[in-house]
Amino acid sequence: MMYDIHQTTAYSYAHPVPVARHVVRMVPVERARQRVIVSHISVEPEPTEWTETRDFFGNKTLHIRIDTPHTDFKVHTRARVLVEPEPAREPEASPAWEEVREMAAASDDLTAASPAHHIYPSPAVVLSPPITDWAAQSFAAGRPMLAAAIELMHRLHDEFTYDSRATDVSTPALEAFEMRAGVCQDFAHIMIAGLRGLGLPAAYVSGFLRTEPPPGEERLQGADATHAWVMVWCGPEIGWQGLDPTNALLVSTDHVVLAVGRDYADVAPIGGVLLGSGRQKLDVAVDVIPIDMPDASAPVV
Amino acid sequence: MGRRNDPRVRTRRFEEEAVDALLAGYQPLPGVNDELIDADGRPRAHWTSLLASLAEMGVDEVNRSFASADRQLYRSGVFYRVYGDPNGGERPWPLSHLPLVIDGEEWRALERGLIQRAQLLEGVLADLYGEANLVRSGALPAAVVAGSPEFLRPMVGVDPHGGSFLRIYAADLGRGPDGRWWVLSDRTQSPSGAGYALENRIAIARALPELARSLNVVRLAGYFQALRAGLTRLDRSGEGRVGLLTPGPLNETYFEHAYLARYLGFVLLEGEDLTVRDNVVYVRTVAGLKRVDVLLRRLDSDFCDPLELNPRSRLGIPGLVQAIRSGGVAVANGVGAGLVEAPAMMGFYPRLGGQVLGEDLDLPNVATWWCGQKAERERVLDTLDDLVLSPAFQRPLRGLMDTGPVIGADLDPKRRAAIETAIRTRGVDIVGQEAVQLSTMPVWRNGRLEPRPFILRIFVAATENGWKVMPGGFCRVSDSLDARAVTMQSGGRSADVWVLDGHPTDQITLLTKTGQSEIRRQTGPLPSRAADNFYWLGRYLERAETTLRLLRTLVGRLSSSAEGGEASVTKLIGLLQSWGSIPEDLARTRPARHALAALTRSDLPGALPNIIDAARQTAAVIRDRLSPDAWRTLADLVAMTQEPVPAAGSAQADAYERSDRALRALAAFSGLASENMNRLAGWRFLDLGRRIERGIATCRFARALVGESPTAGTLDVLLELCDSQITYRSRYVMVESRAPVLDLVLLDPVNPRALAFQIDAIMAHLDALPGHLGDEPPPPEERLAARLVASMKAFDAGEFDDERLRQLEGQLMELSNDVAERYFIHHSPVETPWDLMA
Repeated sequence: MMYDIHQTTAYSYAHPVPVARHVVRMVPVERARQRVIVSHISVEPEPTEWTETRDFFGNKTLHIRIDTPHTDFKVHTRARVLVEPEPAREPEASPAWEEVREMAAASDDLTAASPAHHIYPSPAVVLSPPITDWAAQSFAAGRPMLAAAIELMHRLHDEFTYDSRATDVSTPALEAFEMRAGVCQDFAHIMIAGLRGLGLPAAYVSGFLRTEPPPGEERLQGADATHAWVMVWCGPEIGWQGLDPTNALLVSTDHVVLAVGRDYADVAPIGGVLLGSGRQKLDVAVDVIPIDMPDASAPVV
Repeated sequence: MGRRNDPRVRTRRFEEEAVDALLAGYQPLPGVNDELIDADGRPRAHWTSLLASLAEMGVDEVNRSFASADRQLYRSGVFYRVYGDPNGGERPWPLSHLPLVIDGEEWRALERGLIQRAQLLEGVLADLYGEANLVRSGALPAAVVAGSPEFLRPMVGVDPHGGSFLRIYAADLGRGPDGRWWVLSDRTQSPSGAGYALENRIAIARALPELARSLNVVRLAGYFQALRAGLTRLDRSGEGRVGLLTPGPLNETYFEHAYLARYLGFVLLEGEDLTVRDNVVYVRTVAGLKRVDVLLRRLDSDFCDPLELNPRSRLGIPGLVQAIRSGGVAVANGVGAGLVEAPAMMGFYPRLGGQVLGEDLDLPNVATWWCGQKAERERVLDTLDDLVLSPAFQRPLRGLMDTGPVIGADLDPKRRAAIETAIRTRGVDIVGQEAVQLSTMPVWRNGRLEPRPFILRIFVAATENGWKVMPGGFCRVSDSLDARAVTMQSGGRSADVWVLDGHPTDQITLLTKTGQSEIRRQTGPLPSRAADNFYWLGRYLERAETTLRLLRTLVGRLSSSAEGGEASVTKLIGLLQSWGSIPEDLARTRPARHALAALTRSDLPGALPNIIDAARQTAAVIRDRLSPDAWRTLADLVAMTQEPVPAAGSAQADAYERSDRALRALAAFSGLASENMNRLAGWRFLDLGRRIERGIATCRFARALVGESPTAGTLDVLLELCDSQITYRSRYVMVESRAPVLDLVLLDPVNPRALAFQIDAIMAHLDALPGHLGDEPPPPEERLAARLVASMKAFDAGEFDDERLRQLEGQLMELSNDVAERYFIHHSPVETPWDLMA
């Protein structure tokens, strides 16, 4: 599936900000089954310093410093991305979850792909016994890893209410868990906390969903903003599999990966430190437009 | 000739008897090694000289010497801060006076072992932040690295500037029952204690001067010199600027940061002092941005940069990681160096020695099993009763090990079951460790020797000529007899460590180094934050003095039956009330009680305890720049405000005596400042604050006391408040009248209490401060000062009415704002916007 992605993020401040530093993760990169045909990012006002790097998890990271006083800060990105379907998997044929736990702890890989980074608590995911106990209900002894994780995803989708007023960006997973409500970020954090509580590797993914559903299908939750879901590691043969608890879907060609990390804190699209300001207002606009394959060479809008 | 007539024999007998008496009742614990007494009950050879000296001194003299060591520490202002202390208090440094004595030969073996271990940890860090071959080869599971909160992913692939992650390594050691030294834990984040070790040495060496010399105790200065040279060498811009980065005065070991900065000649910096531009780190100073090339880091890595590390940190420097990455600054120890402290790593070091260094480790560490591995996990579960269980990483395990390690054998059934379950489900979080029995050393208690368990911390520094071990250490001695290492996490006392070398010791000190130093008269531009604190210290001290003068004058008037006394008292009370020093609803019946309240009550904003406390807090931030005597004076003032008010007795006498005493302490501080402080920017800001505050107070006094028709009584009060009575009487024979009094307290440029004198001083300071350029229009504060100077010349004393005084007062306050605007850091809220999700 080919997509054109447009995203505009605009902050406006009550008072001029004299100096700001930001770390921006808003440009998708090549990944397994994902090709970036072209990408572009622009920032207003013009930054004084501009450095592009990759962070530990391979996400494209832009460091900027702005030292002109400003009340508006805008980041605009566009990208054309080709997403290939995930190979079909037989969940019942994945290794037992206890084996996956043992293999993750014994991993001899310290690169970004290693499950070892994703079995521990992380800045925004604290392990909580209530979440672990709840998750454990899907993990009977000897149950295949992927099958159990898919069941957990469905339980999350069925038992929780999507409610954007219930939580905000800094709501801890346990709080959303107790309310049985939240948005994609909360669902991802809860699922990750549950899996890690059992010693299982789970990563956080931020990205995009196709905005317009295929004809006759329902529009997915989270399509009008940046979306978030989970990847679980199912042993070296299967590797990482994306699961979207918000929509109870195995991730395939409807999802475009923007950044991967241990939790939201690792992938926050715009982080930063700025002097002054007071209140700030934020507007985000996202368009994810499917392009017909034969037109792949069409000019990028 | 019989031996009994030989005087030497008699002396030796006498000595032996005295030593025996000293040792009588010294009973090492069963099954525990003792440093002083060997297995046969005899004192070990390297302790005999110390024992003989103590025996010769006798109990009383030993007590006296040790008390003098305590006084030395107290005078030097050595304190430590206790987290969670309701009083936010600093406690006197608890020194265990007897040093731990270590024989030279044994020390050399320890040195070799520690240097080898420092090399190992450096090698492991370089590998894990680099190629990670140790993980790929299977020697170290990835999860042992990835689980550490100190594995800072933004640092992966970054070469440390200067080639090494570790500049200072420390190890905590204990001697086991088998007589071997064991590494109990590694310290690589930012080891603390070296500064305290130095203070302990100074205190003990002063208390037992001959002894330290005659025993050839190896000196510590060489270590610090090498450390300093090693760090200074990393300065590539050649400006010689090395900073010590501290989390600030609320940190437990802030005293040590300030002390080391002073001793090593580094500038003490907080995150707020620094800014990053184009990947170079600069200090904000009163003379603009100044490059800093090297930071000795006492701030935990994770807090160093809110942008790429912990976004909640308000102590760090946004952009620092990017600056490190591009080689713009050297940070020691490297950001992320805490990784190799993790207890989980200790399970692997014995094997890594071979792989990293090609040799076995001389110095063993406490046996450790990481429960992320199947075989190790089973072993720990099988032998739980013999082990200590710890969090595998530097992160507490909530609900299981909230306060650190637990002893397997001590667990109640419920807790034990919970820990066993945790080991089975998330074994990666837990290690089992052998329960170590520590050896004991003697402490001096109630005039005799008693054994107590201890842990020894030894420091190793990277220098130009390889690793150098500090010949001594920081020894923590337990207050209890429980020799299990795990129980020694907090509390206790600290002791000096004497390494006996047998050679006369060299006389290096950092202070008298000659021959190779260039002469420098300036110590570098003053950081803006320090200037800010000097300025406010000056203002608070002057405010305290003003308040005290008001109180002393008030109390003095209460008993006098002078004409118009009643009116003066009313005016003084009015002034004190408007400053918030005494309660608003003052019942006029007992003004003396209220004066006492203003001296002792901390619930009144303008009362002395609050002002002194504010002064102490600003001083705490610039402690490295104040002399120990100045700091001591402030501590005395704080203590004075805390003295209880006697229930009985004359409130008036007590209040008078208190304000008088406090005024003398303030005078002592002023004296120290004027006689002992270099006339550099720090002193200028201190004095600027004082002058502005005094100017404002003088305007207020004059307004309140000299209305349209002042009485002789109120004029006399004004003279007393401005400390100008004697001058007045020597100049005028007449009773006080308005114009001459105002001339003396406002316009007389030679009266150091007069407003004109303050304004001249302010002008002189502004002229001398950096950033004053001749060919540019003068900045606002200088224009304002010039206007103030002009008004002092433009009018007669008689022309200063309420309105004019009010205007002067307003201009002084505006001047204060202009100075702050120009020279200080502007504290506006820093915000982190990262809320973008659906």
